[in-house]
Amino acid sequence: MSGMRMESTRVAFLETLTELMEADPKTVVVFADSVKVFRATPEFLQRFRGQVFDVGIAEQNMVATAAGLATCNLTAFVATYAGFITMRACEQVRTFVAYPGLNVKFIGANAGIFGGEREGVTHQFFEDLAIVRSIPGVTVVVPADASEVRQATRALANTVGPAYLRIGSGRDPVVVDPPRAFELGKIRRLEDHGRDFVIFANGYLLQRSLEAAAQLRSQGLYGRVVEVHTLRPLDVTGIVQVLAESPAAVTVEDHQINGALGSAVAEVIAEHGIGRLVRLGLQDVFAESGDAFGLLDRYGLGVRDIVQAVERVVTKVAATAGTR
Amino acid sequence: MVTEQDIREVAEAARQIRRDVVSMIHLAGDGHPGPALSVADIVAALYFKILRVNPAEPLWEGRDRFILSKGHACPTLYAALARRGFFSTDVLPSLRSLGSILQGHPDMQKTPGVDSTSGSLGNGVSIGLGMTLAARVNRQDYFTYVIVGDGEIQEGIVWEAAMAAVHYRAGRLIVFVDHNGQQSGGPVREVSGLYPVLPKWEAFGWHCQEIDGHDLRAILTAIERAQAEADRPSCVVARTVKGKGIPFMEADNSWHKRVPTKDELDKALAALA
Repeated sequence: MSGMRMESTRVAFLETLTELMEADPKTVVVFADSVKVFRATPEFLQRFRGQVFDVGIAEQNMVATAAGLATCNLTAFVATYAGFITMRACEQVRTFVAYPGLNVKFIGANAGIFGGEREGVTHQFFEDLAIVRSIPGVTVVVPADASEVRQATRALANTVGPAYLRIGSGRDPVVVDPPRAFELGKIRRLEDHGRDFVIFANGYLLQRSLEAAAQLRSQGLYGRVVEVHTLRPLDVTGIVQVLAESPAAVTVEDHQINGALGSAVAEVIAEHGIGRLVRLGLQDVFAESGDAFGLLDRYGLGVRDIVQAVERVVTKVAATAGTR
Repeated sequence: MVTEQDIREVAEAARQIRRDVVSMIHLAGDGHPGPALSVADIVAALYFKILRVNPAEPLWEGRDRFILSKGHACPTLYAALARRGFFSTDVLPSLRSLGSILQGHPDMQKTPGVDSTSGSLGNGVSIGLGMTLAARVNRQDYFTYVIVGDGEIQEGIVWEAAMAAVHYRAGRLIVFVDHNGQQSGGPVREVSGLYPVLPKWEAFGWHCQEIDGHDLRAILTAIERAQAEADRPSCVVARTVKGKGIPFMEADNSWHKRVPTKDELDKALAALA
């Protein structure tokens, strides 16, 4: 891991927010004693004191206050740990932001076991995406790295309505280097070496998916890696096109296997009668404290796990084809 | 200064609102008459004497904001909005019916003049705080008024907001506690350890007043005093009677959620003649 280039997704968000608040005095942010989480400096707080509100450790109030701000034609960002937004303040997100369709952008940090790592389950949030994906009208984005956080934050600021952006621990590897253009609501095909399989991934695990694809190539299996950074609106057309060419699919995500990427792709597969799927993610369990990379390995999200999942699904697809 | 003329106008508005409320709930076949009637005088005072609003331009940026946090009392709000000209009174009978702009609980996107969606209890003070802070960002000088129920303030978020509002010196935030002493499950005193109510707000640093919530002069005067408080949010604990104005509903908590029959409606309207 030592050769890996790191860039904090939290800093990337705050820097982008700084640009947005500079450009538009009607862009504001509400924290819940989460100023340090986002590495906001005293200079930042002083400079934007009219646009930054910190309501203390009170997430429900944070979200409802943001809703009130947004009713007055302001763009309100809300930033704290992913689960305190999506769980502690879930009802405020749903009833007071999403239902009236207000322009509030939720930034959920420490998401996944990779993002929550050493603090353990209380601060690892691997249900957040399933929750927000079930609330009507909320755009849901899972960037892979800092560059994508910057692009996604700008894209969300330029769209009207509620959105949820999932970010990490601040110790985040650069995944797509050099950065590539991000288009909200569209899948990104990152590697394309053949039709034997497709790996749909997002977040840091996109990196491991790319490594797995390279390893599979050396074993004679040629496939593609597709990033699904936007879970809503889901690029159904794009996913169907990929599946039409490569029906052997694996989803890889730092989240429970139920409710997020794996479920979204499964829904497309079921409704279009196309493709075969193996879902990788947390298999209906809670994780634990530990080293971020070690946690992923321990919970079935290692490169080797992805390779094996691809082999499994490729075999299944071949077997089905043989029986026809 | 509050004049006799002011009081007469508000009293007439409140009477009309109460008539609308019982009629609407009778027609809808569902609703909360008791809680709606207990806030009728405060809502009438706000819409007919206090709020700077423009029914022709309900989203005017400089308007005063009002949040009926105890959203189940919304027939009162709808009647006030209609009587104030935000929409036709012909719409009132459609309360709670499919396709109506009058949802079972207030929906800011469906009903002209409704500043905030509400009905899930506890959230109005926070939302009102957000509106108050937004006034600073937008360089506006409006006031934000919120009505919460006494049962409602058992919700923790109310006190999160109470703390933050003092921290942000939200002087233009004015909260009424509709203190009728009853909640769905029975007397507040029996359901929770909420009492004493006013000292809690005082302890959080709010400017506090306690009034008879059906005394129109007291309501209007309390609002004037609250408006004068520049650096602290204001709380007005309004002692009210659930079902106020209709003798057989007063002090009978079964009217928390209950539909008047045709006979009961006639009696209620007679009491409000």
